Amino acid sequence: MERKSTKAGYLMLFPSALLILILIVYPAVNTVYQSFFEIRTQTAALGPRFVGFGNYVKAFRDEHFWDTLWWTLIFTAVSVFLELIIGMGLALMMNRKIPGQGLIRTAVLIPWAIPTIVSGIVWTQFFSQNGVINSTLAAFNLIKEPLNWLGNEWLAKLSILIADVWKNTPYMSLLLLSGLLTIPKDYYEAAEIDGAGKIRCFISITLPLIKATMSVTVLFRIISAMRVYDLIVAMTAGGPAGRTETVSMYAINTYFTYGNTGYGATLSVLMLIISIAISMLFVDSLKTKGSV
Amino acid sequence: MKQKAMIQKVGYAVFLVLFLFIMIAPMLYMISASFMSEADLNVIPPKLLPSAPSLANYARALVQQPILKYVYNSFVITIIAVAICITAGSMASYALTRTNIRFKTTFLVFVLAISLLPTITLINPIFKMYSKLGLLNTHIGLAVIISVLDLPMTIWFLTAVLKNVPISFEESAKLDGANMFQIFIYILVPLLKASIFSISILVFIGAWNRFLLSQVLNQYEDYRTVVVGLTLYQTTHTIPFGVVAAAGLITIFPLLAMVLLFQKNILGGIMEGGVKE
Repeated sequence: MERKSTKAGYLMLFPSALLILILIVYPAVNTVYQSFFEIRTQTAALGPRFVGFGNYVKAFRDEHFWDTLWWTLIFTAVSVFLELIIGMGLALMMNRKIPGQGLIRTAVLIPWAIPTIVSGIVWTQFFSQNGVINSTLAAFNLIKEPLNWLGNEWLAKLSILIADVWKNTPYMSLLLLSGLLTIPKDYYEAAEIDGAGKIRCFISITLPLIKATMSVTVLFRIISAMRVYDLIVAMTAGGPAGRTETVSMYAINTYFTYGNTGYGATLSVLMLIISIAISMLFVDSLKTKGSV
Repeated sequence: MKQKAMIQKVGYAVFLVLFLFIMIAPMLYMISASFMSEADLNVIPPKLLPSAPSLANYARALVQQPILKYVYNSFVITIIAVAICITAGSMASYALTRTNIRFKTTFLVFVLAISLLPTITLINPIFKMYSKLGLLNTHIGLAVIISVLDLPMTIWFLTAVLKNVPISFEESAKLDGANMFQIFIYILVPLLKASIFSISILVFIGAWNRFLLSQVLNQYEDYRTVVVGLTLYQTTHTIPFGVVAAAGLITIFPLLAMVLLFQKNILGGIMEGGVKE
């Protein structure tokens, strides 16, 4: 009976394992392999030519790669930081018994549920020359002339960050809330009896107990922020002059617009290495997640 | 003291209204703009409400791009993706919680690790593989890869749920002579209905919104998804925002309906399972 059940167990795991093997593991390994070759769509007939670390050397000398990498990393750091702070505030609020609770929880689902492309399109309209943002700023006399939000490098970056924070903070706050809900209420009651204030409670009870949830949430948010593609495609398409292009966009262009498969693979692998390095920092919290 | 409580209450109410407004403002503006004429949209300062609401933008949205076909494609692809994801995912979760197979933890950690892979490390080999197999520009091809990307979340979620279901039901069924597949279908699936429903909705929304893979793998109009189709309205600047807004609302209509109808399931799904971008 036992052995039979074990056999059936492997059988039931098989479809998932097979799908993952063919569509995730194989492509990832293949990309790593291709990154050591010169492969171009235009010269496909000649076949791939082994270049060793040639593509990597090229990437280190490629100024545009560094530009896209810095912007991707800055975008990730700033957006995740803001989303964590604001998300935590929201989660703490949603954790209290207050009127309007249901409304808040439904409202936060809206930015999360709508496609990034759609939110990008609407925010682009908000930030346009004659858009709502400029006219609001003008109404409060904060600006004299309309700002060219999406035409100026730093303003474009700021616009993208604002749109991203709007879209992703709600989800972050729900995950943090799920962590908060696991903290027993009597911890706070006991602390209150001992005379601890709200801030003290947050630092000594909430933070340590929510740390595991928080790090997993932050890790997943970091990884997904580093992939950013849709939002920027919808808002600036990488402009002005490629200054808001991310590594993902650069890799996709290298693959499919320039047909340079080998170099595209190299850019992807570099991104993969950075993702792994960041994940390593969070390994301890993943272990706690693994023991659920 | 009483006054202070009063001020706090008013302050909170103001905050609440402001917060709700910020969360839904882009949506409200989109709805409003979709009924505006071109003149309304070009006025400075911008109008917030249409002066003479009309359906003209919707009519143009339907003509400019075959958006209803895109919606159909999205539905077909999303539903296949959900079906594959839930079937494979629930089987895997069963194996991981109810059988004596080895490397359970390894598999779970591995599944978590692959959900951290950047899409760009997968996309070109998948494109090449699909091109060889004739799966580019098909519903099933795109649905399969999308379902695999949502599989880690599904497996984690259902494994966590199954761990909390007492094993006693299954044991009594086993005594009655039911085999493992019968137990799975007749006992566990009905017990897990609510959880399976929640995760299905999460997968549905995730699959509907997938952009990069859909853009690269299904480039032909006949198989294009609606989220990709939507970006084509922007390609020329002559198209007023009202038309894009109308198309955008058509795109998100199923999602909004789900949020309003199933918010409890969605919240439960996010907060119980919660490993998702």
